[in-house]
Amino acid sequence: MSAMNGASSLVASLEAAGVDVMFGIPGGAILPAYDPIFSSSIRHILVRHEQGAGHAATGYAQVTGRVGVCIATSGPGATNLVTPLADAAMDSVPVVAITGQVPSLAIGTDAFQEADIRGITMPFAKHNYLITDPADIPRAIAEAFHIASTGRPGPVLVDIAKDALQKMTDFNYPTSVSLKGYQPRTITCAESITDAADLIAQSSKPVFYVGGGVIKANASRELFELAQLLGAPVVTTLMARGAFPDSHPLNLGMPGMHGTVAAVTALQKADLLITLGARFDDRVTGKLSTFAVNAKVIHADVDPAEIGKNRFADVPVLGDLKHTITALIPALKESLAKNRPDLTPWLRQMNSLKTTYPVGYDIPTDGSLSPQYVIERLGKISGPQTIFASGVGQHQMWASQFISYEYPRTWLNSGGLGTMGYAVPAAMGAKVGAPDTTVWAIDGDGCFQMTNQELTTCALNNIPIKVAIINNESLGMVRQWQTLFYEGRYSNTNLESKRVPNFPMLAEAMGCIGLSCDRPEDVDATIEKAMSSDNQPVVVDFRVNRDAMVWPMVAAGTSNDEIMIARETAPDWGSQEL
Amino acid sequence: MAQHTLEVIVENSPGVLARVAGLFARRAYNIERLSVGPTSNPETSKMEIVVNLDGHVLEQVIAQLDKLVNVISIIEILPDEVQPIVHDTQPDYQN
Repeated sequence: MSAMNGASSLVASLEAAGVDVMFGIPGGAILPAYDPIFSSSIRHILVRHEQGAGHAATGYAQVTGRVGVCIATSGPGATNLVTPLADAAMDSVPVVAITGQVPSLAIGTDAFQEADIRGITMPFAKHNYLITDPADIPRAIAEAFHIASTGRPGPVLVDIAKDALQKMTDFNYPTSVSLKGYQPRTITCAESITDAADLIAQSSKPVFYVGGGVIKANASRELFELAQLLGAPVVTTLMARGAFPDSHPLNLGMPGMHGTVAAVTALQKADLLITLGARFDDRVTGKLSTFAVNAKVIHADVDPAEIGKNRFADVPVLGDLKHTITALIPALKESLAKNRPDLTPWLRQMNSLKTTYPVGYDIPTDGSLSPQYVIERLGKISGPQTIFASGVGQHQMWASQFISYEYPRTWLNSGGLGTMGYAVPAAMGAKVGAPDTTVWAIDGDGCFQMTNQELTTCALNNIPIKVAIINNESLGMVRQWQTLFYEGRYSNTNLESKRVPNFPMLAEAMGCIGLSCDRPEDVDATIEKAMSSDNQPVVVDFRVNRDAMVWPMVAAGTSNDEIMIARETAPDWGSQEL
Repeated sequence: MAQHTLEVIVENSPGVLARVAGLFARRAYNIERLSVGPTSNPETSKMEIVVNLDGHVLEQVIAQLDKLVNVISIIEILPDEVQPIVHDTQPDYQN
């Protein structure tokens, strides 16, 4: 125990929590904390906008599996964190946000830069604190890290009044955390494991419906063993890309609104969904009442509120997925020894769909650049160790479809909240967490214009990320919907970003290398040029055809049975007896 | 739909009522009646929440309530029976 002010106690607590880096911007209310930060062992990266700090913390957390930390001042500093914290909540990312608050006596008086950030974040934060007594700081920090990183991970906010940072206190970091109202279950009940194994062994058309929870639980290796054991097809949701290797013959790809025909159909026609860390999101299920109507459901998750939320679970399996899958492997061996169903016809059907309907695209006839081709080449040339972070929209779907993900934590995106502007700051955080790995942000021209200011941060702090702008001079996904559902009335989706801004010049102005490419024959050389520079951020403006669309597509609110592989073109089900 | 009464033991700390009320509001669950009072332990308070929800939705309310860190336990009070249904910090899905 030692005497110090609240600010020093905060920084000592963060050090004790094992923080090695945080992203933030100082301001009035948080200013006392920035004095001890100045001499702390923690690396503080001064971002250009608090939203960048939040997404960077998320990117860092998604790549490392550790808690990402961001810090901001009261009022606007704190409210600028709202979007990334909501984003982290939707995608279950462990993030701790520290915010300064006006002095405790001023709280509630509409003081300068006062915002009730605890109240504002209450609907989505996993938990949050308002600290007015410096003695509470170490415990709040210890609890925040515990809550953020255990169970279903999520964002926790600690709001600290300025006077609590200034007053003297005794620093005493708790050695353990005990919360009566928060005891996430980690050990899976043995009975539910046996029930799951028995149900699997009775099923002739099972499919592994794999969600982001498998990556959060670091259970990819266990999943690999389980999938090999059963030999059933695997689908990986947008949040789970990389949880199971794309190159594996059992992997049917991504299900959902822009999923592969094979993955969507596997879920629709299965007699059993082995659901691992997925949450039956509307983008996966389509119209819920018509989703996988003949399937029984095993639902394994660490969050009890997810089990049965959208879809009844015949066998609920509550617990940490790593433990669940580890326990399921021997149980399934035992069940399969008694009864091993023949999955061959089912696998043959699914493989036939996979071969007949691979994700593909048309090369534009006018010689212009195909966005899918650019993304496909990025994946091929950079290789499977590369980390990709994407924004939200068409380029996100193409980046999920046309890059082969072989390892967990190599694909970062904003899946739940759908936050445009996620890519550049998340890539920055990812590169900080994995400095020896190539990190590409695949961004749209719309997304890029929301958060590109963090390239300055990257240039000044030796964070050499690479950014591929898939520039179709449009809010492309919205434009696609206008094409399909609004008779081509392109209301406010034309960004004109091939005219303004000049992206390579903008990149150069922020201390990055700026490149551009608009011919298919230059794509490889441009990517290789970008790959050759590793001491400066690189931005490539890929000027692509604006009419390319994302296919397949299940239109919002319709059944997955109505999947289209191109405009007004359904798959030919004639030869498929499913 | 039948009325159900939930007895929710929460930490006696600022903002807990807002957390509980906010959860009902954002997930569009209606509260019929709500009362908050002390317990014999000064560190906890007791909320009695009456809802007009059944089956799956009621289960969801309880599961979501249980996720609030400040919520310690949830007991469903059954009007005509002696034994209340105890929802501890994790609902038991094993039956």
